[in-house]
Amino acid sequence: MPKIIKLKISGMEFTANEGSTILDLARANSIFIPTLCNFKGLSNVGACRLCMIEIRGVPRLLPACATLVAEGMDVTVDSPKVTKYRKMILELLFAERNHVCAVCVSNGHCELQSLAQQLGVNHTRYPYRYPIYKYDASHPKFNYDANRCILCTRCMRACEEVEGARTWNVMGRGINSMMVTDLNQPWGQSLSCTSCSKCVHVCPTGALSEKNCAVGEMMPRKNVIPYLTSMRYSGR
Amino acid sequence: MRIHDLDGLHDIRRTGMMKILPGKPRIGVGMGTCGIGNGARDVMNSLAEALKKQSVDAQLTPVGCFGFCAVEPLVSVHIPGFPLVVLSQVAPDDAAMIVKAIASNRPPVEKALCKIEEWDHLTGHVMYGRGLPDLPNWNEIPFFKNQKKIVLRDCGLINPEDIEEYIAVGGYHAFYQATQKPNVNEIVEEVKKSKLRGRGGAGYPTGVKWDLLRKAVADQKYIICNADEGDPGAYMNRNEIESDPHMLIEGMLIGAFAMGATQGIVYLRAEYPLAVHRLKRAVAEAREFGLIGEHVFGTNFNFDIKLIEGAGAFVCGEETAMIESLEGRAGRPHPRPPFPAQKGLWGKPTNINNVETWCNVPVIIARGGSWFAEIGTTHSSGTKVFSLVGKIKNTGLVELPLGTPLKSVIYDIGQGSPDGKRVKAVQSGGPSGGCIPATHFDVAIDYESLAQIGAIMGSGGMVVMDEDNCMVDVARYFVEFSHSESCGKCVPCRAGLEQALRILKKITGGSAEESDIQDLEELAQMIKEMSLCGLGQTAPNPVLTTLRYFRRDYEEHLRTRRCRAGVCEKLFLSPCENSCPLHMRIPEFLELTKRGRIADAAEMIWLDNPLPGSTGRICQHPCESQCRRKSVDAPVNMREVHRFISDQIFAGPLLAEIKMRLAGRRMAATGKKIAIVGAGPSGLSAAFYLALLGHDVTVFEAREEAGGMLLYSLPQYRLPKAVLRLELDVIESLGVKFCFNQKLAAGVSLDVLEVENDAVFLATGTWKAMTAGIPGEESPSVWHAIHFLEQVARKEPTNIGKKVIVIGGGNAAVDSARTALRLGCDVTIAYRRERQDMPAIAEEVDDAQAEGVKLMFLVSPQRVVSDERSRITGIELMRTKLGDFNLDGRRRPVSSGETIIVPCDNIILAIGERPDVEPLRRSGIHVRENDTAAADWVTYETNRPYVFAGGDLVTGASNVSSTMATGKNAARAIDGILTGQDHFADLLKTVDVPQVVPAEPEGGARHTSPELPADQRKSHFEETILGLTKENAIAESSRCLRCDVHEPCAVKG
Amino acid sequence: MIAAEAKPLSEQVIDEIIARHPDKTGDVLSVLEEIQERHPLKYLPEETHDYVARKMGVSRSQILSVVTFYAFFNLKPQGRHTVTVCRGTACHTRGSKPLLDSLKASAGFHQDDEETGSTASFTTPDFGLTIRTVACFGQCALAPVAAIDHDIYGHVSDIKLRKLVAAIDAGERQ
Repeated sequence: MPKIIKLKISGMEFTANEGSTILDLARANSIFIPTLCNFKGLSNVGACRLCMIEIRGVPRLLPACATLVAEGMDVTVDSPKVTKYRKMILELLFAERNHVCAVCVSNGHCELQSLAQQLGVNHTRYPYRYPIYKYDASHPKFNYDANRCILCTRCMRACEEVEGARTWNVMGRGINSMMVTDLNQPWGQSLSCTSCSKCVHVCPTGALSEKNCAVGEMMPRKNVIPYLTSMRYSGR
Repeated sequence: MRIHDLDGLHDIRRTGMMKILPGKPRIGVGMGTCGIGNGARDVMNSLAEALKKQSVDAQLTPVGCFGFCAVEPLVSVHIPGFPLVVLSQVAPDDAAMIVKAIASNRPPVEKALCKIEEWDHLTGHVMYGRGLPDLPNWNEIPFFKNQKKIVLRDCGLINPEDIEEYIAVGGYHAFYQATQKPNVNEIVEEVKKSKLRGRGGAGYPTGVKWDLLRKAVADQKYIICNADEGDPGAYMNRNEIESDPHMLIEGMLIGAFAMGATQGIVYLRAEYPLAVHRLKRAVAEAREFGLIGEHVFGTNFNFDIKLIEGAGAFVCGEETAMIESLEGRAGRPHPRPPFPAQKGLWGKPTNINNVETWCNVPVIIARGGSWFAEIGTTHSSGTKVFSLVGKIKNTGLVELPLGTPLKSVIYDIGQGSPDGKRVKAVQSGGPSGGCIPATHFDVAIDYESLAQIGAIMGSGGMVVMDEDNCMVDVARYFVEFSHSESCGKCVPCRAGLEQALRILKKITGGSAEESDIQDLEELAQMIKEMSLCGLGQTAPNPVLTTLRYFRRDYEEHLRTRRCRAGVCEKLFLSPCENSCPLHMRIPEFLELTKRGRIADAAEMIWLDNPLPGSTGRICQHPCESQCRRKSVDAPVNMREVHRFISDQIFAGPLLAEIKMRLAGRRMAATGKKIAIVGAGPSGLSAAFYLALLGHDVTVFEAREEAGGMLLYSLPQYRLPKAVLRLELDVIESLGVKFCFNQKLAAGVSLDVLEVENDAVFLATGTWKAMTAGIPGEESPSVWHAIHFLEQVARKEPTNIGKKVIVIGGGNAAVDSARTALRLGCDVTIAYRRERQDMPAIAEEVDDAQAEGVKLMFLVSPQRVVSDERSRITGIELMRTKLGDFNLDGRRRPVSSGETIIVPCDNIILAIGERPDVEPLRRSGIHVRENDTAAADWVTYETNRPYVFAGGDLVTGASNVSSTMATGKNAARAIDGILTGQDHFADLLKTVDVPQVVPAEPEGGARHTSPELPADQRKSHFEETILGLTKENAIAESSRCLRCDVHEPCAVKG
Repeated sequence: MIAAEAKPLSEQVIDEIIARHPDKTGDVLSVLEEIQERHPLKYLPEETHDYVARKMGVSRSQILSVVTFYAFFNLKPQGRHTVTVCRGTACHTRGSKPLLDSLKASAGFHQDDEETGSTASFTTPDFGLTIRTVACFGQCALAPVAAIDHDIYGHVSDIKLRKLVAAIDAGERQ
């Protein structure tokens, strides 16, 4: 029987099992903390930094996805500071690559888009970089558009941790980082890809999509992975 | 060879000591990478040859680096019976001499830097010998004086490639001791007691970290040494491994034993091949001696060390990234928890410590934790090794007790800047650290104090910067570094640094807007607080600290599009042009002069500088200190060339031509009226440009003639009044009107001027002399320099007496002294610091001395001594000595208690002037605390709209070119505000100048003006410096290297 | 001649290198480092990535991720000689940027840093010379520092560096 921890989020008292994260607890109680890289059933990478929260008495901001609950914690999930920073992060993401909702297969089903709406990001103070990226339509079933990628690495984790194919990885570093398949050949030529579609259904944006989707038609099935992993852990 | 027990260790210790003190001469050559880079290998070879040739029996051995990089190659010579002698800057040619001295049983003191009579290795002790009283001990020379060598205890004294020498000075004894403890917990407790903190930068308590791993239960535990020293500007870890690899191995052995680890890994930069080689060799030796392997010292302890070469990723210094890298992946950090002590390499509990942390461990065990804790401060114990580099005289590795004030490192150990320039900042902690301005040099070097001012200790890099370093460029440099090293995992670091770098490049490129600074600051703060790992969290520090301490540098780039330091290449023409307050287009007028186009050159000179004859004689010529010709032979004599051009114009028919050309440039009349108050260099410059810009300009002057300080304070022998009058004539010819005897407030009221004019420019100068505050200074025989000089300039009698003491060290002091000398006095200048500290132009001091002015240093006035009839008989001076360094890098004079009375009948106080700001105050114009007018530093507008202020009134006493620059810049701003346009670029446009870079340096050696010999010039007021001849002026002009032409030139050969 | 050298190392050599790294800690880095060092043009051709991945049992995408992440690995053939200009702080403070720019210009490279980034390397078309930078050599007391192949030169000036480069050229021609 795990130990029960008592703590406060946004002034309200909650209890949680020892070992769970603040994000788990918030989700279970419908408290909104924005995330982009976190995905139920996949490992935690703490990369998007949108879930940063404040804890009374701790001088620095902490990621809700990687911070474990502790007795007596007093958590603020939407202080003016983190709200401002979250907006800046979304603006940085929009400026980083070529996100054009109007022509995107995921329009209306995009996590980046919906977070921007929720947080009231309607413009970016940073100029768009307009990098030039190829559109990879070589795979018979899926398309990969790096222009819409936010490098959350969900695809890589789904591929490695659930499917076990290790097709996806990150090439390069820093601003030149890029999701690639195998040795950066066209996806359709990948020797390791099993065409299982898990990566496509965990992608938060329109970067990975099924073929033959028009604008707004890509409907990811986000509950496949949580289902698969829960099956695995239950061992039945 | 395997050591089984203490006896075995002692046996090796004895054989090792026979190598360190072999009973015959021993020569050690410092063979670190930097020593080798400075030629140590050649020195080693020549020494071997010389020994053979002269058949001298001596032991020649490579040793590590003794740390004083500035004077490499270092060679140590020990002859039995004498102290060890450390020789510096040894060249291969010195080998014969050194060996000859050794052959005659005499230490080669000729090249000696210092001696070492005995050395405390902390784990052992070596007695070399006493003697050589004339040679300073190693810890008596400035570089070593305040150092304490714990980590560097063996560096430079033993052969790093010989384990026996390490054992000889007590090495591996601490490890033996540790293995004999009944309870391993005692070792961890000892480390805890020492209060040692991680030396990689973050400063986490080492003992606490060790305890975590010790308590972890697992079948396998790892310890890792972080030797991925990637901070640009830091190289202590390289040197520690190169010079004493066994201390690292011993530290890791003790740690492994205490924490129960069986596998150690050293993650070492591949860029350090020598360190890799020496460490590999040391590990092999330790294995051979049974110190690494199974059942060490007969215990159940098994341990192995593996060396992995890092492949060039700064982020791998981050512990979770290093683990990723060791597991064969890209080094991208992951969030903690889990911490490595819980789940590290291959999921096993792991401890990671920096090289230097490990190196401290053997000493802590040997001497005890409490011994160690007493060094340094309460919260930061022990020492830290710093690499002191950049614009500093004594570069090298410096090991200091924590808590040492920074200024002691910069000025005592480092001895300040190598070329006398002002040290501006120290960059501490590399890309994660910050820039500490000179005003904060009294900060103590410890984890908390440095963090408090926004810098960090980091791994210990200290890069000294001077006025030639642009702080915006420094910020851009580090952000560029962090940006290129960012792993790209988290958004703030990856995309945030990209945007921060974009803004910084906009600023250094001269295209930034006001809002950019705020965007940058917000972005930097966000990256710092939101990033995943240490790289991102600290990458903004260089930006945040430079914004905090050097905001003016940013604003200068932004508002004036200039880079004062001359680094941001898009913002200046050439180093000389950039350093000239008036931004004269020096390379271009030199090119025109070289081609004999005197009138064209003169036109360009006048457009940039309306008083070229005066400035050509008296300017402080900052241009020369930046001239790149200096690297070939000597700087171009730029000032004398523009003096030559103006003399040519004034001497002949070209004057009319120049007046005509200037008049032809006058822009269409604007109908705007501008009043200028003060006809000194600043007011005259403003008048000149405003007239050219088409405005109606009237200058109001309190005295009866124009020229200000140039006329009333500059002695005739330096600046003949005729030259100034010709210059004034040119200005008047442009339509500038003068009203004399109109003192502000008394004669002319600001309110009236404001009503009658569209703009008013105040440049009333600094005419209020400062007082010394000593008893008796109200006597009529105590003069203030400006009053004395003015009286002489007006040719009024002074009755200055026979024996004069001048107090001060600036130009006014030297001018007063030389003037008094010409009036027949015996003159002495008394200054409270030393000669090199005198603010006066150095050549002027030389000239004064040649003429017979005496100089007294390190004295400060106490009181005026008078007789019963109130006649001055002398001055009492306190002898001072130079104490602590001020934050500006000069030593503070402190009284010695000893006073002297110097007989004299007159005293001239030349200790500074201030503006008279009373009339401004009464007119409601804001005045600063130091009695200068408060005006915007770009537009020169005061708090009263359309009332501007410039010159010394705003800056305080300065020099002629700087004060003229304020007038010139104010004219541009006034015109801009009145017309809504910037006309300056059009106004200054001149003929095309050929843009050719000379293929080879031309023009020969530097040409100087002939000067009257001292005995012929000291009795009259005729000009002493006669000016260049035409041939010499043209030859001098051709010496210019044309740094303003940015075309790359083809490589030859 | 160049074409011959641009081939990957033989599988035998690679197998032998892999065999010498039985312990998995740090093996991927060490193996790739050694393969690159053994290649006459000091780089890792694409065929090698594939072979190493198969032989070491590491996914191909992971090998690509590693070789593109670490600055040490070259994906293009390098020149027979390499001039490395140190871009450490002390060197920057003492003018290594103008030094690098002038060296690049003299070898015929005119790209602006804006596009290529400060860490980019340049190789002459005949593979005679590669110009690259290093974050820091740790020779800060000798700043500015440059290395020609493995020899480090301290206090280099524009003129001194060009002379050194010209000397390699002359040596090549003989």
